[in-house]
Amino acid sequence: MIVAAWICLISPLAAAFLITLAGNRITRRGAGYLATLSAAVSFVAAIVSFAGLLGDSPAERYHPSTLWSWLTAGQLDFGLRIVVDPLSVFMMLVVSGVGMLIVLYSIGYMEGDDEERRYFAYMAVFVFSMLLLVQAGNLLILLVGWGLVGLSSYLLIGFWHDRPSAVAAAKKAFVINAIGDATFALALFLLIQRTGSLNFEVVFSQSIHGSWAINLIALGLLGGAVAKSAQLPLHTWLPDAMEGPTPVSALIHAATMVTAGVYLIVRTGSLFEQAPKVLELSAGLGAITIVMAGLIALVQVDIKRVIAYSTMSQIGYMFLAAGLGAYPNAMFHLMTHAFFKALLFMAAGLVIHALAGEQDMRKMGGLNRLLPFTCVCFAIGALSLAGIPPFSGFFSKDSILAAALDHGWYGELLWVAGMVGTFLTGLYAFRMLFIVFWGEPTPFVREHLMVGSHAHAREGHLEHDGHEQHMHSGEGPLSMTSTVAALTVLTVIGGFLQFAGIWTPVTTWLDPVARPLVEASGTQEAVSSFLAVVLGAAGIGVAWWIYGARSTTAPRVAWAQTLLERKFYFDELYDAAFYRPAVFLATGLLRWVERPLVFGSVRELVRGVGLAGRDTGRLQSGLVRTYVLAIAASVAVLTIVFVAVR
Amino acid sequence: MKGPDVVWYLCVAGFLFCTGALGVLIRRSPLIVLLSLEIMLNGANLALIAFSRHYGQGDGQIFALTVMAVAASEVVVGLGLIVAIARRKLDLDVDKLSTLRG
Repeated sequence: MIVAAWICLISPLAAAFLITLAGNRITRRGAGYLATLSAAVSFVAAIVSFAGLLGDSPAERYHPSTLWSWLTAGQLDFGLRIVVDPLSVFMMLVVSGVGMLIVLYSIGYMEGDDEERRYFAYMAVFVFSMLLLVQAGNLLILLVGWGLVGLSSYLLIGFWHDRPSAVAAAKKAFVINAIGDATFALALFLLIQRTGSLNFEVVFSQSIHGSWAINLIALGLLGGAVAKSAQLPLHTWLPDAMEGPTPVSALIHAATMVTAGVYLIVRTGSLFEQAPKVLELSAGLGAITIVMAGLIALVQVDIKRVIAYSTMSQIGYMFLAAGLGAYPNAMFHLMTHAFFKALLFMAAGLVIHALAGEQDMRKMGGLNRLLPFTCVCFAIGALSLAGIPPFSGFFSKDSILAAALDHGWYGELLWVAGMVGTFLTGLYAFRMLFIVFWGEPTPFVREHLMVGSHAHAREGHLEHDGHEQHMHSGEGPLSMTSTVAALTVLTVIGGFLQFAGIWTPVTTWLDPVARPLVEASGTQEAVSSFLAVVLGAAGIGVAWWIYGARSTTAPRVAWAQTLLERKFYFDELYDAAFYRPAVFLATGLLRWVERPLVFGSVRELVRGVGLAGRDTGRLQSGLVRTYVLAIAASVAVLTIVFVAVR
Repeated sequence: MKGPDVVWYLCVAGFLFCTGALGVLIRRSPLIVLLSLEIMLNGANLALIAFSRHYGQGDGQIFALTVMAVAASEVVVGLGLIVAIARRKLDLDVDKLSTLRG
């Protein structure tokens, strides 16, 4: 079981090295297959680990393994250490499973790109980093994985490095994540000082003395989680990160990396429980993010950005759950979200692929007859996102909302925010669906899908076929459609893993690691679920009324429209609060310190030396007799002094 | 082995040295300057030998011999320079040889 876990970790790393070192000796497609194969090996190894854990009794499901001592400093000794327990196996399965599907999908999506090998090497590095993060057996290795996923995210967002906007987005993501990494590292320093170790079982079994210390530690960890998971107030990087290729958005910025923050809170739950105020803060941040991201998603016109805001909003639900101590609910939603959000991104990728890279929804329309398969998959993803039964989002989201009711007035407040979020989710998800797939095909769509797009050009025999055949071939190559189909199936059946109150394998499985603090009663479940479904359906209804049937136009309130299109002015705020003062300070220092003091002092020194040289040079008259006189006079004076003193 | 007291020798040596120094200071011809230098050296040599005799030790005499050897080489170089100057038809005047002015 431990061996399987190590294989699971090493396999993508080996693939990354192989692809990098092989260079031109393997074909581009070969690089894709190699990366997919490595992720598949990881998935199989994760299943083996899972089976191994199933054989143990629940209390003994904890298997650390240290490969070697990695870092030794005085009393501290950090090993290259992984741990196999229910939580890490749960994450391993999600990461390697979804990762495998998305890497396979990339083979079709990235076909014909100039640097496919580099892309697949990066993807393999990412899968390795994410597995390192979730398998880490001490917080230092977790931080290493944390930094590596940030790096691979940076590399993949900026993959198309000839686009200035992609490079800027990559830098933004890296800088904002660095803030979170810094607070995370500071929390670890404090933790070392207080407990003398970073190994999970040592750290989590101690209670930390001093309320300010535990509060600071929890805040530092929360800072890291908030930055990585794009929650308020460090959320601004995620929408821009959509500059990367669509499979990257699906894997990193929807299914796995951005949920690392939720994993961190669940993993370090026993630390957070000692700082209940910080835990409540994280729930509050999640709730605010749910509503805010949902509102912004209503006005976005870029299809990927709408899904990005919906990701922020859904991770908000996970933060809400984790912050209330409903850890299994958070992890369950993490899993179903990985399924349906990857599905949405990849279905959107099919649309973008068919339309030769266009992401602007205003140019799309009427795709339901041209891309029927994509339309069905996208609709299932959207229904799941909106929490409509029997799709997976219903089960996971509603259990979170019900759990919120078991946490006093604060929980009820969060519950209201979550309910508002449910309505908004239905509205923005189906606004997107109706704009893209309903109505009449726009001229842009006709041009790409009816006359002969790049997808048709590959299959020359289509000329004599009927119209239907043309339309069907636009959906994309098999590697893409098959993975989308697989995720559709997962989205449909994934929710039945847990049905609140009756059938709870996820909660039972995670119980040894993360025991929930709250539990909703049956009545609360029923009422909350009913209301959530009604609100979600209401959102869909409003979306149909405005965008589907087009029986009315969307209400326009100028200031609200501007506020939302400007994303609540967060970018402008950070620009004014941090960027401009920094530039101002730098220019000020240049003008008042650097130029006068540093440059000035050097310039004055040079001038002084020059002047002194010129003046002393006058003494060098070239007249030998003057020198002799000077010597003689000096000797005479010295003699007189000598004699006089004596 | 009696003779005049060491003071008298020193007086003569001082007189020779001052004469030489004066010559170096006021004459312009490099040839004369070189001659005056020799006179200064001889003054110094006389003082060395006088002290050597006064203290009954040979060190001063040995040093005087060294000074003579150095003076001989110096004269070789100096006269060589003067010949070179004369060959280039420059004025034999130390005040005009002032190209090393700073």
